[in-house]
Amino acid sequence: MFKELNPLLHSELRLAIMSILISVEEADFLYIKEKTGASAGNISVQIEKLSEAGYIRVDKGFVGKRTRTVCSLTESGAKAFAEYVEAIKSYLEVK
Amino acid sequence: MEDKILNEKESLELISQMIRNTQQRLKEGNGKPFLIFGYTTIAISMIVYSLLTLTQSNLSHLAWFGIPVIGFVIMYLSKKNEVKYSKTYIDRIVINIWTVIGASVMFVSIAAIFVRIPVMPLLILLLGIATTLTGLTIRFKPVIFCGVFGMASCVLPYAMNGYNQVLMYAICIFVMMVIPGHILHLKSRK
Repeated sequence: MFKELNPLLHSELRLAIMSILISVEEADFLYIKEKTGASAGNISVQIEKLSEAGYIRVDKGFVGKRTRTVCSLTESGAKAFAEYVEAIKSYLEVK
Repeated sequence: MEDKILNEKESLELISQMIRNTQQRLKEGNGKPFLIFGYTTIAISMIVYSLLTLTQSNLSHLAWFGIPVIGFVIMYLSKKNEVKYSKTYIDRIVINIWTVIGASVMFVSIAAIFVRIPVMPLLILLLGIATTLTGLTIRFKPVIFCGVFGMASCVLPYAMNGYNQVLMYAICIFVMMVIPGHILHLKSRK
């Protein structure tokens, strides 16, 4: 029996953001932009969706005069990510 | 990269690729704290040495407390210009090592005002321990060697007479912090 894939994570950019945040404790917007190569607008939208789902925490602050948006994974985000990987593994093992 | 739906294989490949992209043992800026605190300590050592030879007053030692003040101000200013930011688990461990050792260095330095203790060997030993642990955590041999040198050379200041101990302390700091700082800086930029 296949496990259902979490639709929120089963999209390229959202999965990339979650994968980055699973391997670093926290990362700012520009770091995520560099690693994913996606546009700022697109990243903003996906971060918003992940944040609304409670998968990531978004902290906005200032460094000097610049604003800095720092993202980190929440516990439920880490759990959802682990479940997603398990689900994918079950698909690949059977196929 | 877009908001497209992936198949299972592509998802797994993407996860591996993103994790690989973030796994850097040596990040740009890793050597910065070593260089800032290393050079600040050497500069203050020179000031203390000059004050001691000129005035022969033990009050000259109060200048040592300029190290954390100047060091943290420069660190803060350099962080302000940092464009991209990420903090890994390794970063957190290294920060924790230096926070604990830094606090110990402060305690020993303050205690030395009231109690006669061999402060320089203790400080070199503590900083050597922090440098070695940092090297082991980021798995970078030059930093480990310089840290071990620091731990082993902690009694070197006592091989010198009088105020020359301060100069020997500065030399130990140069080997233990400035050299690994430059090596880290060069390696992380490659």
